[in-house]
Amino acid sequence: MKVGVLTGGGDVPGLNACIKAVTNRASEDGHAVLGIRRGWAGLLECDPDDPDSVAACTIPLDPGVVRTIDRSGGTFLHTSRANPARVRPKEEPGFLRSKDGGDEPQDHTAHVLKVIDRLGIGALIPIGGDDTLSFALRLNDEGVPVVAIPKTMDNDVHGTDYCIGFSTAITRTVNFIHQLRTSAGSHERLAVVEVFGRYSGETSLVSAYLAGVDRAIISEVPFDIERLARLLMKDKVANPSRYAMMTISEGATMLGGEMVMAGTEDAFGHKKLGGVGQVTGEALRELTGEGIIYQQLGYLMRSGTPDSLDLMVAINYAVMASDLVIQGEVGRLVALRNGNYVNVPIAVVRQGVKRVDVGALYDVDNYRPKIRHVDGKPMFLY
Amino acid sequence: MFAVKRIGILTGGGDCPGLNGAIRAVVRRGVGAHGCEALGFRNGWRGVMEGDVVPLTADSVRGILHRGGTILGSSAANPYHEGGIDHVRAAFRDLQIDGLIAIGGEGTLGAAANMTEEGLAVIGIPKTIDNDISGTDYCIGFQTAVQVATDAIDRLHSTAESHNRVMLVEVMGRSAGWIALSAGMAGGAHVILIPEHPFDLEEVCGYVRRRHLRGRLFSIVVVAEGVVPRAGAMDLPEYPRDERGFPRFGGIAGLLGPEIERRTGFETRVTVLGHIQRGGTPSAHDRILATRFGIAAIDMAAAGAWGTMVALRGNDVVGIPLKEAVAEVRLVPEELYRVAEVFFGY
Repeated sequence: MKVGVLTGGGDVPGLNACIKAVTNRASEDGHAVLGIRRGWAGLLECDPDDPDSVAACTIPLDPGVVRTIDRSGGTFLHTSRANPARVRPKEEPGFLRSKDGGDEPQDHTAHVLKVIDRLGIGALIPIGGDDTLSFALRLNDEGVPVVAIPKTMDNDVHGTDYCIGFSTAITRTVNFIHQLRTSAGSHERLAVVEVFGRYSGETSLVSAYLAGVDRAIISEVPFDIERLARLLMKDKVANPSRYAMMTISEGATMLGGEMVMAGTEDAFGHKKLGGVGQVTGEALRELTGEGIIYQQLGYLMRSGTPDSLDLMVAINYAVMASDLVIQGEVGRLVALRNGNYVNVPIAVVRQGVKRVDVGALYDVDNYRPKIRHVDGKPMFLY
Repeated sequence: MFAVKRIGILTGGGDCPGLNGAIRAVVRRGVGAHGCEALGFRNGWRGVMEGDVVPLTADSVRGILHRGGTILGSSAANPYHEGGIDHVRAAFRDLQIDGLIAIGGEGTLGAAANMTEEGLAVIGIPKTIDNDISGTDYCIGFQTAVQVATDAIDRLHSTAESHNRVMLVEVMGRSAGWIALSAGMAGGAHVILIPEHPFDLEEVCGYVRRRHLRGRLFSIVVVAEGVVPRAGAMDLPEYPRDERGFPRFGGIAGLLGPEIERRTGFETRVTVLGHIQRGGTPSAHDRILATRFGIAAIDMAAAGAWGTMVALRGNDVVGIPLKEAVAEVRLVPEELYRVAEVFFGY
């Protein structure tokens, strides 16, 4: 059998270890592995009748090819946010271009099915977040044997407690927060640290919890800026080093305000987020008269090499997904639930959204993590 | 040898890694070799004007060498801008200090230089991540900032490459390009923009396009926060000014990124490193430099060499007149930029 593997969406630490483990596990049992470049774009843009196009969109993988790729971050196969079920006309490859010249996104799933068939791919292992996996589900529905691996530093894929990349993002964020403390303290300021996480507040919540930050604003709970200002001033006075530190999700909303959005929508209809921390910082400056340090961590959270937990999960997910494919158990999502590796029907990714359990983990009056009753919870509390 | 019975110490301006190492060295040497007492002024010149002091002993500076920031706190307060020079005189008199060691950048050392003219006993230690003080090859904090920025560039490489993107990385440095040039060279940047070289965005796009033509579908562009466009090439908004009238830089990459994306058609993202560059643990280089500067400063004080700034020239710590050090901003020399330029667009 020929196993196809691809990475889609934002890059996270651990992807290369995952690709390597899939390749090694499948090769071990005598299966061929075909790497697909640039996520779904590699299948969308592949013209199976053109050998140059096939060479540009795919790369045969074997243990020799992947031997050293896990020593660096990013993804060896590269990635994209392309969604073949929703392709803007200007992003269509030439040989697929629709003649009418309209603006409506086109569905090129049929082409992707043809490419999978022509390349001889017997099963597909897509590694991705919500969006990448939503198209994986579509292919599954069309009869393609798929076993999906969840990855996203936002940790917001429904159906699994853990996605590759989350741990490293938190590790990085905690380190940056501690680095910022000396500046915030030396200048006696209020520090606002904005973190990636899209519509989920988990990155803000968990990094605040682990770094011992004064307040954490999360996407799930719109905040009152005046209350936040009062709390931070209280924190600052109580701190012998005379500063206060808060985290804020990029997707947070101020009560009475709207989500701060920048840029255009991507193919999945999501706005590019970012900048709410700056707006919050300006408002805090206005309300308190204090100096503000605003720091957007952004790409620094998910670039570079993985920590040990992300390596552990990336490699185990890869081994599990390869095992399932080899056994012909397809249409599955590999997952962690209550601390155990399991596999679940891939359809689960569209059966709900994963957000912070506000009631159990967040103090909505004091804007900070509230973690109680740890006994019996999985390691990452989810 | 001139006797110093009591010495004051302050840290002024932006914090940076290594300040604690300098404080520790001044106190340890002052107490140990010169038998003097040390008083720390809290929050830079503000502590001097308000008489806000803490006694510093060998014990109180124990265990701080590896810690970033400053145990004394800092501020941008400047006695000359706030009419407080008489307060400084009063502090010398009331606290019976024989002299003051001021650890700071342009603003702090400028005030120290003026006080020297007025007969106050001051010695300067240069610290600034911007590395833009004249007369010294290195300032405390610079090398750590470069290391932090280089680490960030290394990591952003993987993201830029995975997504086939142009990644703009904005670093600090005010009107000098030292951090951008050094971190850019160390991080293998494909283009580096520094204030000393007004940029032409079309040239930047040219480098990026050239890489694309050669099949390298991502590029790292390091941008110093203080860059300016070549005359007539592009309009930039006015920066807000701080209380001392210096422009408050930050964010220019956010303007250049979308414009590069528009002109080249390549997806472009921006990362502003910001205060991360000032924070954190000082590098070995900065700890050693801070220690050597601190020792030299208190030795010069003991020798009565007031009006001096300690400086690194080659491998030697020397004293130079404070006035000379603050006369002009030290900029990146042309030949160093030419070295970095060899790698642009490849």
